[in-house]
Amino acid sequence: MHYCGDYRTSYEKDMEILQTPVTKAFVAAFFLFLLAWPFVVKSEFLWITMQILIAVIGAVGLNILTGFTGQISLGQGAFLGVGAYTSAYITAKMGLSFWIGVPAAGVVTALAGMIFGIPSLRLKGLYLAIATLASQFILEWIFLRWEPVTGGSFGIVVPRPSIGGFAFDTDRSYYYIVLVIAAVMVLFAANLMRTRTGRAFMAVRDHYISAEIMGINLFKYRILSFAVSSFYAGVAGALYGHSLRYVSSEQFNIGVSIVYLAMIIIGGLGSILGSIYGAVFMILLPKLLTVVTTQLGTSFPGIAELAIALEQGIFGAIIILFLIFEPDGLAHRWKMIKAYWKLYPFSY
Amino acid sequence: MKRFLQIAVAVTCTLFLLSGVALAAGTIKVGHLADLTGPTGDVGKPYAEGVQAYKDYVNAHGGINGKTIDMQMFDYAYNKDKAINQYKKYKEDKVVAIEGWGTGDTEALTGFVSADKVPYISASYSAHLTDPKKAPYNFFCAADYTTALRAGLLYLKENWKEKRAPKIVFIYPNVPYGIAPIKGGKEYAKELGYEILNDENVDLKAIEANSQMLSVKNKKADFGWIGGTTGSTAVILKDARKLGLSTRFFSNIWGIDESTPKLADGAEEGALVMAGSTTYGAKVPGMKLLEQITRNKPQPTPFIRGYVSMMVLVEALKRADKATKGNITGQSVKDALETFRDFDTGGLTPGKITYTSTDHRPFMAVNIIQMVKGKLVVKKTMVLPRKAEWLGL
Repeated sequence: MHYCGDYRTSYEKDMEILQTPVTKAFVAAFFLFLLAWPFVVKSEFLWITMQILIAVIGAVGLNILTGFTGQISLGQGAFLGVGAYTSAYITAKMGLSFWIGVPAAGVVTALAGMIFGIPSLRLKGLYLAIATLASQFILEWIFLRWEPVTGGSFGIVVPRPSIGGFAFDTDRSYYYIVLVIAAVMVLFAANLMRTRTGRAFMAVRDHYISAEIMGINLFKYRILSFAVSSFYAGVAGALYGHSLRYVSSEQFNIGVSIVYLAMIIIGGLGSILGSIYGAVFMILLPKLLTVVTTQLGTSFPGIAELAIALEQGIFGAIIILFLIFEPDGLAHRWKMIKAYWKLYPFSY
Repeated sequence: MKRFLQIAVAVTCTLFLLSGVALAAGTIKVGHLADLTGPTGDVGKPYAEGVQAYKDYVNAHGGINGKTIDMQMFDYAYNKDKAINQYKKYKEDKVVAIEGWGTGDTEALTGFVSADKVPYISASYSAHLTDPKKAPYNFFCAADYTTALRAGLLYLKENWKEKRAPKIVFIYPNVPYGIAPIKGGKEYAKELGYEILNDENVDLKAIEANSQMLSVKNKKADFGWIGGTTGSTAVILKDARKLGLSTRFFSNIWGIDESTPKLADGAEEGALVMAGSTTYGAKVPGMKLLEQITRNKPQPTPFIRGYVSMMVLVEALKRADKATKGNITGQSVKDALETFRDFDTGGLTPGKITYTSTDHRPFMAVNIIQMVKGKLVVKKTMVLPRKAEWLGL
């Protein structure tokens, strides 16, 4: 969407990720802010920020698959688990470094994604959703039962990373690793969408028959999309496992998959920025609700229990209201707000 | 006059600061994660109340060597993200130990508590947690799930009169909590000469178990192990009665409690539960104080277990406070817990509590409780040997 007076004279200009000097400055400032963040906040909020960054990686991955390629996946939670277990196995059981574990987690998960993506050749929409749901259950079962590798019902205790003698033992130091990886992966995804591959993904999404007629190999691009998306999930899962220092099967259930799907729907399907907004929204909202309900509980002790019990209900209601009033997601709403102020007071 | 005022202010400030320091030295911070409103709230609430009741009693009667325990309860509603967020807050407050609750929070925090050196006492009785090599900062105050299962197997075998091998079926949900004791339990069942039938899976949220019970009936199982919670156990018992099964059921610590007669509607008659505590009103020395604290209002077994877990923590805090001369830390509380040798809970638990640096199994005893006409009746206290090869399995 472009507004009146906002025009470009070359394709390069049109394809830029950060289109104006103001945006560039803003993003740079935001990154600096994120760098300074651990020195500002309490450890609880640092932990939440770290979880948001990890969720951003996973959500961007899912958005590549669902938002850009149009393949619904209900298996993101299990793919996170594949990554977490791979890295846990490599670091805790084989004794190799975190720096091998995380990329390996990405690669192994990408392979798993490619295998479970095969049905996408024949199945679309809801049918594919059910097929990926099966992958969720199969993988969960494997996590629980393949004891020599996954530790079975106990799981695996995993270490935090280290370089030379320096261990990233505290949340603060580990946060920077997560931040850098998240930034690189988001940037990669944003760029991927400007390439031939990215355009092929979108063509497959918009009209797969037309795409095929144009010479796009549907099988290749669908599987590729599953691979890229699962790679992101794998890295996110590995980072999550190391952040928690512990990996167990219950951390990667169907609920996680649904939360990720909700992230990209609320944030905006087919938008990298939307994935980020969605991740922030879905992780911060429960926390905010907790703050509100505990506050209510202390002010009115009589309704304390009710307020906590209502939390889930309110959470659901907010999401429904959101989808009714902003079906295109937070990314779209943000664009509208920007446009409003740009054109103020002469909007049309 | 102005000068006098300045001095007065300075003196007051100094006094205030000093008193502040004195106040800070007069408390010991402990965390408490509970589930009051979440999916396990029905048992989580009495457990948490037991913990708090003993703390209030101790604070009112001299505290920890004169210091009060500052223990704020947090209801995490069985949501592990909430538990972790709260843990981070506790860590900032420098708590020296945490009273936890179930599998959800315990699993989510196992990695953290061992890295941050904060002892974590909870009611997740998975045998893995008794192995300090795997979980050095986890403790609990009941026999682990596998030990409880072994005790049940031994009890039933001892009372088995027929010549043929008894047939047993394991019924459990396909979650870590259900699976944890199965491997160790089966090995022991084989050792005792049971014939092991194919497993049945009944989900924790199951509302019927017809097909599974039909299969149990066809297999002609003599005994059935139920590794679920009160809801799913009641469902199993009811459907077993409906199909006319003669199988005798025994459940793990969370399967049957005071709420079962209401849930199972009479189908629980004769069923056994491997309990980690005695029942309210039992004739044991420790019950007197408990009755006094609860003003003779009967409490369910989870309350007693919560009460005991705080009793253990209080003793550890006292020992740690003495050993460190008041500079109590998480490490010192763990060390203090590991000095426990036959710590007497006044008969509230089936055994006396011992923790060592290589073995966190509190005791190897289990109270076999039977449902008789809607009442929990302690049949026998089974004591197993503390075998090294059973640790963590």
